[in-house]
Amino acid sequence: MLELQSIAKRWTPKGANPRVLLQDVNLQVQPGETVALLGPSGSGKSTLLKIIAGLEAPDAGRVLCQGQDITATPPERRGFALMFQDFALFPHLNVQDNVAFGLVEQGLRRPLAREKAQTMLQRFGMQPYARSKVWQLSGGEQQRAALARALITEPKVLLLDEPFSALDADLRQTLRAEFQTRITSSQMAVVWVTHDEAEARSVGARGFRLVDGRLLPVW
Amino acid sequence: MRASFQNRFAPWLMAGLPLLFLMLMLIAPVGRLLLEGAWSKPGDAASLWLAPWQDPYLRWRMLWSALQAAFTCGVVLVVGVPIAWVLARFEFRGRSWVLRALMLPFVVPTLVAAMGVLVLFGPQGWVVQWGGPSLGDTPYLLLYGNVFFNLCVLVRAATEGLEQVSASRMAAARTLGATPWRAFWRVEWPALLPWLMSALCLVFLYCFSGFGLALVLGGQHYATVEVEIYTLVAHELQLAQAGVLALWVLLFTGGLAWTYAWVESRLAGPVRADRIARRRPQTASQWLALAAALVVLVFLCLAPLVAIVMRAAQTGAAGWAVLLNPDTLDAVWNTVRFSASALVLATLLGLVHALAAQRVIWLRTLVFLPFVVSPILVAFGLLLLYPRWTASAPLLIAAYALLAYPFVAKSVAAGLDAMPPHLLAAAKILGANPWRVFWRITFPLLLPALRRGMAFAAATAVGEFAVTLFLSRPEWATLSTLIYEHLGRPGATHHDAALVLSCVLMALALAVFMAIERPSLRSRTDGETYA
Repeated sequence: MLELQSIAKRWTPKGANPRVLLQDVNLQVQPGETVALLGPSGSGKSTLLKIIAGLEAPDAGRVLCQGQDITATPPERRGFALMFQDFALFPHLNVQDNVAFGLVEQGLRRPLAREKAQTMLQRFGMQPYARSKVWQLSGGEQQRAALARALITEPKVLLLDEPFSALDADLRQTLRAEFQTRITSSQMAVVWVTHDEAEARSVGARGFRLVDGRLLPVW
Repeated sequence: MRASFQNRFAPWLMAGLPLLFLMLMLIAPVGRLLLEGAWSKPGDAASLWLAPWQDPYLRWRMLWSALQAAFTCGVVLVVGVPIAWVLARFEFRGRSWVLRALMLPFVVPTLVAAMGVLVLFGPQGWVVQWGGPSLGDTPYLLLYGNVFFNLCVLVRAATEGLEQVSASRMAAARTLGATPWRAFWRVEWPALLPWLMSALCLVFLYCFSGFGLALVLGGQHYATVEVEIYTLVAHELQLAQAGVLALWVLLFTGGLAWTYAWVESRLAGPVRADRIARRRPQTASQWLALAAALVVLVFLCLAPLVAIVMRAAQTGAAGWAVLLNPDTLDAVWNTVRFSASALVLATLLGLVHALAAQRVIWLRTLVFLPFVVSPILVAFGLLLLYPRWTASAPLLIAAYALLAYPFVAKSVAAGLDAMPPHLLAAAKILGANPWRVFWRITFPLLLPALRRGMAFAAATAVGEFAVTLFLSRPEWATLSTLIYEHLGRPGATHHDAALVLSCVLMALALAVFMAIERPSLRSRTDGETYA
């Protein structure tokens, strides 16, 4: 389903020599499979996610989805979903409109999109907060709203950038289990980026570590 | 390929509009001004060039302009830093109102402030009536006016600087044995210094190239070089000499602006997350410090405005009858229509400039150009470059917009900088194309910043004075020029009329500012943080 072929990316800090972030990165993720990406801060994990999402262009290599080269496809046409570390919920929209955002962008009429968002929020136990502003939610509630927003468009690929790093340990464990249940019930290819190896092992069927820009299999 | 083309050229296409506007309205006129100054008498260019320094009268004008600016810097530094420290470190009821009131001098038109100073300390001012000395024909009138306008600039910058001081560094200093006083000098002061330098550069620039205050309060002896340029052009028709003076002013202000930009670039760093928590004053001396800070602020920044309102109220029905005068009604109408037209243009230019400057960094520097070149120089340059257009409404409105649009551009640029990029990325991932991202995410989040910029732009346009003096026709008198006209005529009736009109102008500027700015204040209190 998702395939990375020889992805390379360099980064040149201001007034310093270029640094290799990614080199010859190859990866295949099948539908319904979750792959965990490990690596310390600054190892290039988030950059790799951005390249998959289309937010950054690789210096070399190709990104394929269902056999099609999508390297030059803009992010809005990829049909992927990305969950950010701090959820990236839109502060000027309420929870319901945040969740409905992707559907409206797909051309669905707003009332229908809101109806579907309500249903999604109900599944996540978030219906009472539909009209709430996002900053009125707790960390866990924001997390659920962000996941609901990501899943409502039924993306082919779900990208998760340290989705629990902003939460405390107890909540992290509860939500992780909830996440896995919801994700495995879909047929998405999931790339889960984390620096926590225990978390990576609990969620990923396969795990990789980014070392000096190269993707090495861990299990 | 198409996306790459768009990414590369779209900012340049967008930048075209503000660049063309700056070229036509600022760079070309200033270039023309330089030509007038440097090459108007080919055989005698060197002596003309040095003339301002050889003529004792002009030399004094130049030196006095710098001196009064330096003195103002000294006063606002000494008075402003303790006030800023109190505002940054103490929590008290009404603190947010005090911080908001610090915006007042940015909104009040120059002529209104000048009137306020005259009401307090002028030859017929309250202080004289109460048996105090008259400050007429002394430099103190102008200096007080300068402090009124600029103390708030420094206090706001210093308060912001002090709020960025790291709590953990202060704690480290204290645990390593520093007393609060030593910790201030060794930790807070070095962190504050770049903020102060930046604010002082601005204060110096404002005072050095100030026109309205110096024209009304400087009198014969203490007017600044900008007033001299105006006099040479408007009354003595000495264009070449005015051009040379303008050249020197440009050199000086250009150097200052460069220093300001350099200091500002050093300020661009991550905001401290571990800010020092504000606390309620505990001891008597802390309460005393707070009271003293507020009293000084009221005396220096509020008193002239209160004085105008009270003095205007005393003029009675006869004084307020000026409001029914056809000239007054025309002036109000002119002020409103010129300002509204300029605001529309300024908003468009500011928005486009800020968006383009996101990708083309040096465009950010260009937005400061209208701040660096004084309105008098701009108007003089326009007069020379477009002699046939000098009494045309489009040129006047464009000149207003030139002075107002940097406020919009600066505010929107700051709003764009503060916007978390991942929000835009999230919208893209969710299927929004670039235009939809702008319309559904960027624009709504930018609205508070846009409104704020527009509020300052509108207040600037409403109170505009210098350009109107140069480019306006008699039938296009605005409230500012009408006040100046009344001030120039002898008799108590005209003085009272100027007072009442000052009240009206102040009310208009404040009303416009509040009407545009208020919704953004509300959205900020609702938890919005991207303005």
